[in-house]
Amino acid sequence: MDLKRSIVFVERGTEFLKLKRDHLAKELSESIEVLRGRRKLLLDNLQEAYRAVQAAYLSLGPTEVESQAGSIRSTLDIEVLPKSVMGVQYPYVKIVRKPKVESELDITLSQASEKVYAILEEIIRLAEFESRVERIADELGKTNRKVNALENTVIPDMKAVIKFIQDKLDEEQMEDLVRMKLIGGALASEK
Amino acid sequence: MTYAVVRSHALIADLLTPERMRSLSSADGLEEFMTQLSSTPYGQVTLDQDVQPSVSLERTFYYKLAERIVKIVDITPAEVGELLRTYYYMRFESINLDRILRGKFSDATVQEITGSLVPVMAYAAPNYQALTEAADIDALLDMLRGTAYDAVAKKAPAYKQYDAIWPLQLELRHLYSSMVLKAVKDLPPDQRRLVRRIIELEADIENFLAAVKQSRSPKEVESGKPEEMFDTTYGISAEILRLVAEGADLRESVEHLDTPYSEILSPIYEGDVALIRTRLRSQIYTTARAVRAANDFGLNPIVSYLVYSEIEKDDLVGVAWAKEQGVPVEDFLKYLVVPNV
Repeated sequence: MDLKRSIVFVERGTEFLKLKRDHLAKELSESIEVLRGRRKLLLDNLQEAYRAVQAAYLSLGPTEVESQAGSIRSTLDIEVLPKSVMGVQYPYVKIVRKPKVESELDITLSQASEKVYAILEEIIRLAEFESRVERIADELGKTNRKVNALENTVIPDMKAVIKFIQDKLDEEQMEDLVRMKLIGGALASEK
Repeated sequence: MTYAVVRSHALIADLLTPERMRSLSSADGLEEFMTQLSSTPYGQVTLDQDVQPSVSLERTFYYKLAERIVKIVDITPAEVGELLRTYYYMRFESINLDRILRGKFSDATVQEITGSLVPVMAYAAPNYQALTEAADIDALLDMLRGTAYDAVAKKAPAYKQYDAIWPLQLELRHLYSSMVLKAVKDLPPDQRRLVRRIIELEADIENFLAAVKQSRSPKEVESGKPEEMFDTTYGISAEILRLVAEGADLRESVEHLDTPYSEILSPIYEGDVALIRTRLRSQIYTTARAVRAANDFGLNPIVSYLVYSEIEKDDLVGVAWAKEQGVPVEDFLKYLVVPNV
C-alpha cells in the first residue's frame, strides 16, 4: 500500500518536473534569442565606443589621455548578489557606485568614457544574463535527466515491484482459497 | 627682425609636406613609420624603454617643436620675442600645470606626474620638480601665489566648493589667453592680427565645447554658473554659451554662428567632438596661410612657421599612436590637418 501511495506521489512529481522542464525549455529558447540580439548590439556599441576612444587619442595624444584618465578618483563599484528564477540561482550584479567623470575630463574623452561606461554596464548585464542562461540550461539538463529516470526507470521499476507483489498476493490468495476449499471438502466428507 | 623673417622662410621649407605626411600615415606599421621618419628632419629616433613607443615619440616631437621655437625666439627682437615666449612657453606651461593639478588631484606619484609633463623648462611658474613634489593641491596653489599664476591660486575656494579642478583649469586657460593678448598689444597693429585671431578662435571653440559639456552633465553634478565659466569670450557671445550650457538645440545654435565657427563646430551634429579640434587646427593653419599670402613679412611668417610646426607635431603624435595601435589609415586620416590641406 505504501508503495502504491509512493507511486502516485512519484507520478505527480514527474508531472511537475515535466512542467518545469517545459517551462525551462521555453525560457531557454527565449533567452537564447535575446542573448543573440544583445551580443550583436554589444558588438556594435563596442565598435562605436572604440571609435570614440580612438578619436580622443588622436585628438589629444596618448600622454594627455592618460593624464586625464588618471585624474578620475571615483571608480566603478559593484556587488554580486544571488537571484533566483524557478529555483535556479544566478548571480545578479548590483552597481553600487558609478564612476564620476563629468567634471574631470575634456569633452572628447568624457564622451568616449560615457560610451565605454555604457558598454561596461552592458557587458555586466550580458554576463549576468549569460550566466542565467547557462544555469537554466544546466537545470534543464538536470530536470530532463530526472524526468527520464523517473519515466523510464523508477516508475516502471516501482510498477514492476507492485505488479510482482500484486501477483504474489493474488497467488497466495488463490492458494488460500484452494486450501480453504480442500479443508472445507475434507470436513464435509468426515461429517 | 629681418633675419628672423628670412630664417622662418627657410625653416618653413624644412616642414613636412602634405605628401610626406600622407606617406607617413600610410606606413605599414610603426617600424616603417620610424624608418620613413628617419629620412625627414626628425632623423633617426631612439625610443625610450620605460614608456610605450607612441608616448616616447610624442616626447621626441615635443623636443623638436621646442627646439624650433627656441631657434626662432632667440633671434627675434625683444617685443616679438616676448610675445612668442608668452605664446609658446606659457602654452606648454599651462599644459604642464594642468597635468600637475590632475596628478595631485588624483594622488598620482611624483614619477607618474613627471612622466606626463611636456619636456620643457618652467617659464613663469616655480620649477616643475618642486610643484610635482607638493604635498597636495593646497600646497601646490600656495607655491603659485605671487607668481604669474596668482589668479589660479585665488581660485582655491572654487576648487574646494566643487571638489573639482575645473575652476583651476578654466582660470589657467583664461590666464593664458589674456597674457598672450596683453603681449600682442605691444606690437604694431598690422602684426597683431594673426596671433589675436588664433587666440580668440581657440578660446571661443573651447568655451563652446565647455558649454556643450555642461549641457550634458547630469543635473546632480555640481558645475559652475555660465557667467562664472565664460567670463572671457570673443566671437561667440556669453549669451549663446549660456543657452548652449542650458541645453539649447545644438544644430540651431551652431547654424546661427558666423563662419568659420559654424563650419568648425558642424561635426557636433554627429557627436564627433575630436573632429572639431581638427577643424580648429585646420582653420588656424588656413588663417596663417591666408595672412602670409597678404603679407609675407614681419611677424606673419614667424608665427606661421611656429603654427605649422605645432600642427605638424600634433599630426605626427596622432599618426604615431595610430601606427602603434594598427588603426587603418582611412580611420584616422580625417583627424589630421597637414595631409588634408
